[in-house]
This record gives sequence, C-alpha cells and structure tokens, in this order.
Amino acid sequence: MTQVSEPMFAIETVGMTKRFGTCTAVDELDLRIPRGTVFGLIGPNGAGKSTTIRMLMGLSRPTCGVVKVLGEHVIDCPTTRKARIGYVPETPSVYRWMKVDEAVRFCRSFYDTWNDELCSRLKTLFELNGEKVVGSLSKGSLAKLGLLLAISPEPEVLILDEPTAGLDPLVREEFLDGVLAEICRRPQTVFLSSHTLGDVQRLADSVGILHEGRLLVSSSTDQLLASTKRLRAVLRDGASPALAPPGTIWQGSEHREWSLTVHGFSESTIEFLRRDGSVEHVEVLDLNLEEIFKDFIKGRRLSA
Amino acid sequence: MNIDSEKASPIFIQIQDYIRRAVAAGVYKPGEAIPSLRAMAIKLKVNPNTVKRAYQELERAGLIKARKGVGMFVTPDGAAGAKRHAEGMVVDCFLDGIRIAHSAGIDPSRVRSLFEEASMRELPVAKEAI
Repeated sequence: MTQVSEPMFAIETVGMTKRFGTCTAVDELDLRIPRGTVFGLIGPNGAGKSTTIRMLMGLSRPTCGVVKVLGEHVIDCPTTRKARIGYVPETPSVYRWMKVDEAVRFCRSFYDTWNDELCSRLKTLFELNGEKVVGSLSKGSLAKLGLLLAISPEPEVLILDEPTAGLDPLVREEFLDGVLAEICRRPQTVFLSSHTLGDVQRLADSVGILHEGRLLVSSSTDQLLASTKRLRAVLRDGASPALAPPGTIWQGSEHREWSLTVHGFSESTIEFLRRDGSVEHVEVLDLNLEEIFKDFIKGRRLSA
Repeated sequence: MNIDSEKASPIFIQIQDYIRRAVAAGVYKPGEAIPSLRAMAIKLKVNPNTVKRAYQELERAGLIKARKGVGMFVTPDGAAGAKRHAEGMVVDCFLDGIRIAHSAGIDPSRVRSLFEEASMRELPVAKEAI
C-alpha cells in the first residue's frame, strides 16, 4: 500500500514577490511554517502583511515566486481544496442583511466538513444571537461571527489578518479564547498577523518581523526573546561609542550611556564591547516582543 | 496567576516558575496530578505547545513525571526540588540587589542593613500571605 505523505510545511513560500507598478509591496519572501504550529507576522502599517496574506489565500497572484499551502500551489488550487483554509479578515465580509443564523446556514452550504456541534458551541461561547441581523452587530460580535464561520468547517490552516484590531480588551480576550480552544481541540496551523504583540508573544510558536516587504527576522518566539538583548554600556570619561558589535539592530547614546540592542547576543558580544577599553561597565537586559519589534524597526529607519 | 506577555522572560519559563511555585506551596502535592496541557493552556491563555515545552523541561528536572495516558504527576522529590529552585531564585534576586548596590557604590555592610530593614517591613505581609 502506498501512502501519500503529508507535506511537512502547512505554508511554504519561496521568493514570493508582489509589485504594484514600481512599488514592491512584498519582496522575495521565504516562509516555512510547520504543520500544527502558530506563526505570528508582525510589522508596521504598510509593511506588506495584508498583501502577504492575500497571496497565501490565493486572492492575489504573486508577481513572482512560489506560494504553497498544504503542499499545493495556492493559485491553481481548486475550490474544494481551498475549503481547507479558514480566513478571518480584519472586517469579515458577511451579507449585512442576513440574520446570524441565515449567514451560518449560507456558509454551511459551501462545506462538506462543517461541524454543527462546534458551530453551536462557538455560538454559545461568543453569545451570538441567531435572530440578530448581521448589519446591526457590534464590531466585536461581527469579529466573533467571522471567526465562527472560519472555524466551523474545521480548516487545516487558519489565517487571521489583524482579527482583533479595534476590539475592546474584553472582546479581544473572548476572541482569543475561541482561537485557543480550537488549537487545543486539535493540532492546527495558525497564521496570525497582529499589532497586539502581547497576544502574539502568548500564542505564536514562531514570529516573523516584516518591514517594507522584507522579513527582517523569522525565528521561534522563545529563541528570539532569548537571543535579543539590550546592552547598557557606561563609557569611560571622554570616550565615545566605538564600533557596534555584530548583530546590533539599534543603538543610541547619551552622555556616558551607550545603549544597544543586539540580535544573536552571546558572551562574545560583551567581549567585543570591552576590547578597546572605552567601556567601563555593561549591563544586559531582557526585552519583550514589543520592545524587540520596535528596535528592529527603529534601527532600520535610522539606517535608511 | 497570570502569564505576563509584557514580561521579557519567555512564556515557557514563566509557566515552569508558576508550577514550581505551586508545587513548593503545596497546591499540588507529591503523587498528585497537575492540570492537563489543554486545561493549563486555556487557564493561562497560552499556546498548548508552549505548555508542553514547559512540562517537558519540568519532567527533565525531575519535578513531574508522565504516567502514560493518565497525565503528569508530581514526583516524590518534587516538592523538595521546587523549594530548592525557589531558594535559587531568592539568591538570584539578592545578586541583582548586590549588583545594583555595587554599581551605585553602596558598601556591603550598608547592603546587609538594608536587607534587614526590608525583611522587617515585609515580614508581617509574608506571614499573612502564608
């Protein structure tokens, strides 16, 4: 008996590029997201996150490069296969004139894999009233309805494009509880883009930082936190900052204090700083994901 | 207990610390089960893969042990190990304080008296917390 092996990566892109005229929105992106893991894509506004997601969904054709989801070229993928990908955009597009239950029945008709029990459980969890007209839902309820409609067909890959943008903290938590319960229920690949970096740090196995269409870093979340440090060096009288150590992503100095953020930090980073004798004392500080993100972007802007 | 995603320390370390403290405090006693991966992930609102990693590390450290198909249990030596680990954390905090004192030019005898003062201030609170 021959067994067809499942591809190792749920999402794989090689040199994925999107140009609009002379503007390159996404520039040779290489992504490899293993099955059953959560990937967080973070980047400032206009970095190319949504364009990336639209290409992963097959909604936009890349100018060049390869985009595979669940082992298949997404652009040529038949609709039945695309049903294995769930998608929640920032503003879910559901017919506004339908009642919630009608919208559920409407979407249900497109899928063979729809799980009624899961759907009704989510409806209860999210406190969605089936009789309410979609157009009258609050932003939070609409977001939760979008998630319910994306999860109920039990997709193998769930793509969330800034799903909690503009939601109040309570609704955001309910929304994330829904995602988390789903990840706990069965192994699932989740691709999440978000500006709420605390949520990304909590949920993502690995993260990528996108800036001007390019990935500045792509790493396991723990590895990124463990290897990116802020160094606070005190300079000797009259000394000025020397050459920054390898891996420096941002630096600034004021009076006798020289601050640097180093990606790929090790003991040799400190030796490097001390070697010309201009540094008197070095303190090493941990950073959270938000601080690391900001330093990567600020460093890029300074060097541009 | 809340996992603090604003904190710089990786979440799998925070989960380990949380369980170690719970074991040291007797919330989970030797021979008792700790919550399942799923239950812990939902409780702490974190990715279950991260909880799995924390549990693996704790198993490697001998604090908990898996019983196939049943769950994770605190080992007979788990409570003592958790307490030793807590002592290590206390020493780390002292070292942080000593480094701050050193860089600010505070001499060791003054550091000791500051420690005594802090203990006196915190003691009633700590007793109440137990």
